[in-house]
Amino acid sequence: MTCWRRLPALLPALFLILAMAGCSSLPGRPGLGPEVQRPSDVMNFGVLYKQNCSGCHGPEGRGGPAFPLADPVYLSIVNDATLRTITAQGVPNSLMPAFARSAGGMLTDQQIDAIVEGMRKNWAKPGILAGVTPPPYSAPLGDPKRGTQVYQTFCQSCHGPGGKGGAKASSIVDGSYLGLVSDQELRTDVICGWPHLGAPDWRSDVPGHPMTAQEIADVVAYLAAQRPKFPGRPYPGQPSRRRK
Amino acid sequence: MKRLQKIFEWLDQRLKIGAAVREAMYHRVPRSSGSWFYVFGSSAFLLLLLQVVTGILLALVYVPSASQAWNSLQVLNHDITLGWYLRAVHGWGSNFMVALVLIHMMQVFLFGAYKYPREFNWVTGVFLLLFTLGMAFTGQVLRFDQDAYWGLGIGASITGRVPLIGAPLVHLLLGGPIIASDTLSRFFDLHVFIIPALLLGLVGIHLLMVLKLGINEWPMPGRLVRRETYLKEYEDLVQRDGVPFVPDAIWKDMVFGAMILGSVLVCAAVFGPFGPRGVPDPTIIQAAPRPDFFFLWIFALLALLPPYMETPLILIGPIVVIALLLLVPFLSGEGEKSWRRRPVSVLTVLVVAVTLGALTRFGQEAPWSPVMNGWSGLPVPAQYLKGRSALQRQGAIVFQEKQCRNCHSLGGEGGKRGPALDSVATRLTPDELIRQVLQGGGNMPAYGHNLSPAEVTALVSFLDTLHPPGVRPARDFAEKGLPLLDTGHPAKH
Repeated sequence: MTCWRRLPALLPALFLILAMAGCSSLPGRPGLGPEVQRPSDVMNFGVLYKQNCSGCHGPEGRGGPAFPLADPVYLSIVNDATLRTITAQGVPNSLMPAFARSAGGMLTDQQIDAIVEGMRKNWAKPGILAGVTPPPYSAPLGDPKRGTQVYQTFCQSCHGPGGKGGAKASSIVDGSYLGLVSDQELRTDVICGWPHLGAPDWRSDVPGHPMTAQEIADVVAYLAAQRPKFPGRPYPGQPSRRRK
Repeated sequence: MKRLQKIFEWLDQRLKIGAAVREAMYHRVPRSSGSWFYVFGSSAFLLLLLQVVTGILLALVYVPSASQAWNSLQVLNHDITLGWYLRAVHGWGSNFMVALVLIHMMQVFLFGAYKYPREFNWVTGVFLLLFTLGMAFTGQVLRFDQDAYWGLGIGASITGRVPLIGAPLVHLLLGGPIIASDTLSRFFDLHVFIIPALLLGLVGIHLLMVLKLGINEWPMPGRLVRRETYLKEYEDLVQRDGVPFVPDAIWKDMVFGAMILGSVLVCAAVFGPFGPRGVPDPTIIQAAPRPDFFFLWIFALLALLPPYMETPLILIGPIVVIALLLLVPFLSGEGEKSWRRRPVSVLTVLVVAVTLGALTRFGQEAPWSPVMNGWSGLPVPAQYLKGRSALQRQGAIVFQEKQCRNCHSLGGEGGKRGPALDSVATRLTPDELIRQVLQGGGNMPAYGHNLSPAEVTALVSFLDTLHPPGVRPARDFAEKGLPLLDTGHPAKH
């Protein structure tokens, strides 16, 4: 009974103790750092990738319309300098825009380094090509005539005769398509494939018979040669009506 | 106890306020007014006191300088024990106070409490509302983050539209032609000295009038207010069926006040302080500023007004609204008090509430603002890429890279300025899509100069895939061999 009578006096003290114990973990307490960082101070790869890259390259580096950056095969043949250049300055004659401030984008050089570093750290699998000599990341175009042969051997089963599309894969010689991708991207596609779309890399187009570096250069030349001079005319059958 | 009483007597002989306090405490109020509906004003006052106390504590740390304000709030949030909680209580106290003042006003309006002889209770109340909103706005400015900075910019632009004296007014408001250190000093002055002084003084008058004129009795339908008889009737009512304010009526005020105070403390603990959000640096263009909750409706209204109505409405609207509010007790100072017999009043309250609520909702969504990082930050929904050709995938990249997504949503994500494009192929044929992209129209800019033919072809081939499964995409009437309706017969024309 006396205990109950003392309760009102004890309550504030009890409350205070509870409050002091709990206040450091109250849900309303702001997290570390400012609520909204200065955009140029954002260095977290996840945030940078989500804000700048996920729109085209997909939420986790794959599953978007643009090349899957989370492909460990790709990351093991491309070096950091190239990744940095592509991210900073974009790719001419393609849809990849420049992100560096020096090239008209919004990101600082440090942020671009953070993106390149984050891609390596999160998605690369060192040793995935152990014991394999991969073809070089870039090389001059080969011979388009030989490329025709190479195409028939390695690509035609899916992309159909002449690259115009087959049962398993679509046309890769459409003029507009070729007008929007660079030769290097064609080469990267041939080497790395698009694993999540079922396009194999250079080793498995024909099982047990990897493509040689020469063959890759030739087939890329074959595709590049089909890029029209003025890609993307919507009515290719009609004569163009140009003002004299 | 006796000693205490002696001290009080000693003091009262010299101060002479005991009688007044006793009179205020024990004055009789109609029994019907000791109601749970009559507690909002006192709680708003209680919150005002809370704001004064927390505000004084905040001012110990806050630095009212454009270069230091944001940092001093970071210090409060992160470095001072429970500093964040102090900010949170002040912020939530402000929100609760605005809400309570509005509820109080609505109750007074619906209960006819503004009628004879309490006209000036209402008039002072209108000014108290304006001052409360003024405190809320200046407080938001003192938070001095991106929202505050751009909010001030909008405020200054509005002020600048005043004819003839617009420019001097802007200088007066900002302390110069631009938002700088002087601006913050001015708003600090307003928030800490000028408006609080007016607010507290006016609250004193407001309360004194409640005491002297008596609290409004519970309105009974059919009991009309007449100038000739009302005072006598009220006097009779208080004599016949009155109770002393303390303790018969005040306990409800105290219980409700405690509940409100508790809610503020809990909200502050659970939801935390408001901002400060981004640094107030105008070179940061990645900002989507929004005003605080109670000003969202103005934000929405300003965004939705047609341009030709902007200046007249912005400049004349507030004057008309305030004048109408002030005129209310003089236009209907007599007659029926009960809301049950005042359908126009009830409808007015409903229309105002629905309008403000809808505008606030719009303000939260702000569908008129493009999502500026939608193009790079919102992935193309996976189902729109499934089984697509290489060209269509390039089209999806064009869609993102040319920032179509900033105004058009896919899968519910993206800008709401333009129509959602999830089923655009059922509405437009490929030719119509090409025309729309190249020439724009219907509020959309023309992109003909910004897209290469290959980009247009790719984009349209992607857009043409955007139709629900099982629904045919739109096709030109003249296209041969295509069924016009899904009848299984080829079209004949």
